[in-house]
This record gives sequence, structure tokens and C-alpha cells, in this order.
Amino acid sequence: MMKDGKTIPIMAEIAEVRSLSGDTSLFRLRFEEEENFHFLPGQFVQLSVPSGGEVPISIAGGPSDDRSLELCARRVGHVTTMLHSMGRGEKVGVRGPFGNGFPVGEMKGKDILLLAGGLGIAPLRSLLHYILAYREDYAAVTLMYGSREPDAILFREELAELSCRRDMRLLLTVDFLTDGPPGELACNVGLLPSLLKGFDLRPADTTAAVCGPPALYRCLTSELEALGIPDRSILLSLERRMKCGVGLCSHCAVGDLFCCTDGPVFRFSDIRGIEGAL
Amino acid sequence: MARNFLQDELLPAFVDNLAAFGELHGPKLTDDGVTVFGRVVTHAELRLDYRSTLLPPKKYLLPPRETTLAYSPESGYRQPAATEKNIILLGVHPCDLAGIAYLDRVFMYDAADHLYSRRREALTLIGLSCEPDDFCFCGDVNADLPVGFDIFIQRADDGFCLDTGSDKGAAIIAGLSRLFMERERPPSRMRNCSPIKDAIQRAVKTQETFEGSPLWDDFAARCLSCGACSLCCPTCYCFDVREYGNLDGATAERIREWDNCLFKAHGEVAGGHNFRKSRQERFRYRFQHKYLGFGPTRGRTSCVGCGRCREVCPVGIDMLELFRLKVEGKAG
Repeated sequence: MMKDGKTIPIMAEIAEVRSLSGDTSLFRLRFEEEENFHFLPGQFVQLSVPSGGEVPISIAGGPSDDRSLELCARRVGHVTTMLHSMGRGEKVGVRGPFGNGFPVGEMKGKDILLLAGGLGIAPLRSLLHYILAYREDYAAVTLMYGSREPDAILFREELAELSCRRDMRLLLTVDFLTDGPPGELACNVGLLPSLLKGFDLRPADTTAAVCGPPALYRCLTSELEALGIPDRSILLSLERRMKCGVGLCSHCAVGDLFCCTDGPVFRFSDIRGIEGAL
Repeated sequence: MARNFLQDELLPAFVDNLAAFGELHGPKLTDDGVTVFGRVVTHAELRLDYRSTLLPPKKYLLPPRETTLAYSPESGYRQPAATEKNIILLGVHPCDLAGIAYLDRVFMYDAADHLYSRRREALTLIGLSCEPDDFCFCGDVNADLPVGFDIFIQRADDGFCLDTGSDKGAAIIAGLSRLFMERERPPSRMRNCSPIKDAIQRAVKTQETFEGSPLWDDFAARCLSCGACSLCCPTCYCFDVREYGNLDGATAERIREWDNCLFKAHGEVAGGHNFRKSRQERFRYRFQHKYLGFGPTRGRTSCVGCGRCREVCPVGIDMLELFRLKVEGKAG
């Protein structure tokens, strides 16, 4: 029987569930068999919850040499609601990894600007972990992360640690403040693009990676171009509902490109003319 | 000279003998008066002079709904074990042959699909020449010459001229050689081509999306999102994937079923955002897939000119009008 991990899900056990906000958790999965799961940051998997179905989810963890995989999922639909009702020791299925991932080789030597909105932090966390693991290969590293409100900031403890690092910069913002505890994170109030105002960068030597809700791409791409970053150095990780992951089911086309096989990471220069891409 | 000429009076013997090579299927009339491809037990059921079937033969390769995986807690996800029975599909017109050739390209080249491949290998295609009707236009999309057949049958005045296209087809012809005689090959007829042919070819070559065409609004205003056009299309293959838990509370079944790019949910993502909210956007998506291609089929028209979509659309939408308007615009 064919068992390639692309067609038939490989079973994995939920090793840890870490609640990140009211509706979002980080699931660390451990493969039952001795599978070596190699992936690039920016790739995604098709996660199966038995009896529920399958959903495409970005890999949120960095490169690891063991058999585990981290996925960050918001409780938003049928499958993710079932996933959120599951706990340690329960079984899920994984197909993948799928997609191109970020061009980490080509990004070497560049200043790296990561722009995440909301749950868009997931694939960029994977990319950040990768870059920090090979830190000397990259120039200045900055993560700008915007959330709706303080309670919605994901990975708070990790962010606190990152903010202490001297080899990268972390800038946080929330759309609005609430009465909840502000926490210990230094945080701007305003939309994500506001963090770019007055930000000192070397546009010709910067690669920007963006992931967030659809509206974010439209305003950030113009801001980044206004700062002088070439459109081919603006990388966008797009969301579509891939049903198959292998370029067959035809739900995820962006122009004449498939998000599942040609993406999900696209250069802005390749998709800026495509109606409905962003 | 054509070596394999089958006289009219020997057709029944030919058809009935085909059963030795697999289960015979072909065009027949249902009790409610619809022409369909279906199981044929005797030659008398066959309607070889049929015009078109309601559904194309893609249903033999991509069933409307099929189980792709079965889940159990003990063994995880497994593909269902199944052996395909050999099917001889007789009477496939060149447009439908072209449709199957396109599906082969999608499902058997880049990412070979196990279920499709298994069915395809068990399917023997016997093509049949046809007469154009009021709706079809295979010549305009270069789908008039038969491709991908095991045997092709060309209608002549008092019989049929048979050509082989594969070893499988040659073996069948060899096995039934006693039925054939030598005869002058009938002249092959030219398809009707219209000025639209050039417009289609040009559009495909330049990846024309007809962005400013007023027809998109017109189509969107009339379209009922019923999806009939893609249901009856020989090359529409979009599928949805679903999973259903069984009543034992432990095992589950995953299925894939025909989906439809005209349906609202086709472009939706988690949380409800829809990348193709409007009918106009969904129409343009359909046009892009049909005429310009996605991914590995980029630059390849999948329309085979069978005309089914023009015939079944309850509100008379005809995507060829996009090209026609362009031709008329140039002329005027």
C-alpha cells in the first residue's frame, strides 16, 4: 500500500496543547512511526481530525531534528473546533509538507523584515526560528506583529524572550486597547503599517515577509513599496482552502497559479497584476 | 485501403463479442428518454447514432462521489482495497475522447492519482465518428481529431472503418478479425470551423482574460449558480473532500465528490472570507480554468467543444460569446 505522506495521512499523537488566546492554541504533534518530517518555513500540512476532515494549516515551528511538528490553529470551523476539543495523547493525521515555503537560501545576507497580522504569526514564527537557528547567515532581523487587542497577542512568553534578544528587533502593536491587563510587553497602539512609520531600513537590501488577513496585504504592500522595497523582495504567504494540496482539486488558484503547489509564498511582483489574489 | 471494415450486418456480432474483453458500456436511451453512457447487455440497446449524452464519460474515471480513505483507530487512514472491473466503453465521440485525454494529463502526469489511474487502466475506449449538432464546436478548439482511443470507428455508408490506437485495441481487433474485410477508406469529413476558432487560439496564446468585457456583468446577472455547465463538462474535475464519522463513533470514511466553481463556497476560506464572492468572479475563474488553464495545464484549453454547457444552461449563457464579441468588434 502506498504510504508517501502526500496521499495518505500519517498518524501523529498530540504531545502538547498550549493555549495562546481564547480561541487559538499551539498543538505539538509527535509522529507515531519513525518519520523524519523535513520541511521549510512557510510550507503547510493537511491536518486530519478523524471523523471531522482535513484542513490546511501552516507549520508554526522551526526546523527540528526530532519527530515533532508544531501547528497553530484557531477554533473557527468544523475541523478546528473538533481539534480544540482534543487533548494530549489523542491522534490526528498529517499529510505534507506541501507548498514552496520561503526562499530561505535566497534571503541569506539580507535584512529580514517579518510582518505578521493576527494568526499570520504562525508561518512567520517558523521562518523566524529558522533564521535565528542560522542567525549568522542573515543581516538585521525585525519582527513586527500586530494583534487586534492585547488579549489576542499569541506567543506572549516567547515574545517576551525575543524582546530581550540583542540580535533582532521586535515591534508589537494592537489595533485598540481593552480593559484587560496590559501584560509586560511593550506595545504600540495602532494598525500594523503604523510600525513602519519612521522605521529605518535599507530598502534595496531588505526582504519582507508578510502574513495576515487579506486586508493587511493590500495596505502593507503599498507601504513597503513606498519605503523603496522592490516588489520582488516582498514575500506574501497567502491563504486559500486547499482541499488536496497537490494541485488537483482546483480550489486554490491565484490567477493561473496554484496556491498549494506554486505558493503559498508568492512574490508580490508575481501576483500584483492578478485580480482577486489579495 | 482500410483493413478493418465492418459491414453493417456484422455490427451486432462485433458488439456482442466485445463482452469477452470487459463489461460493455455505451450510449443508450433511459426509460425517461435521456441518452446516457451506461451498461449495455445486448447490441439492441446501443444507440450508435446518438447525438450527445447528458453526462460525459468522465463519470467512469471520476465518479460523482467516491471513498478515498477509510479511517480506523487501529490502522489509521487506509486507501480502500478494490479491484476495478474491465470496462469497454463503446461509442465515444472525438470531443469526449479529447476530454478524457485532458483528464489523463491532469490526473496521471504530475501528481498521479491512484484512484483515477486504476480506473483508467481498466477502461478501454472505442471511439466513434459523429455528426455535428447545433451546439458543438470541436473544430474550433482543435478537438475534432480522435485522440487517446484504443479503437476508433469511422462511420461509412454501409458499415464502419476501424482503426487501432493501442496494443489493447489491436488485440481486440485481432481477436475478432473474422468479422472484418478490406475496403476503401471513406473520406474523412472536415469539421465545421467558424471565425471563432482564431479568436479562441489567440486568446489562449496571449492569456486573454477579457477583463473589460461587458459580458461578465451580463452573465453574472443571469446565472443561477446551478452548476449545470460544469456538471456536464467533459473536463470539469474540481472536487470537494469531506469526511463522515460512522455510527460506531470510531471509524470514518473520507470521500471526494464533484464540486463546482460556480458555487459560492468554492472560494471560501476558514472564517468565512470568500475570494470569489460574486458570480462575476466565479465566472471569470471558470473561464480561466476552461480556456487558459491553471498550474501544470497553464496555456492549455480544456474546452473540447462538445457544446453540452450551451445546451443545458437554463438561462442560455454561452461563454463563446466572449470570443464572438471580440470577432465582431474587430469586424465592425
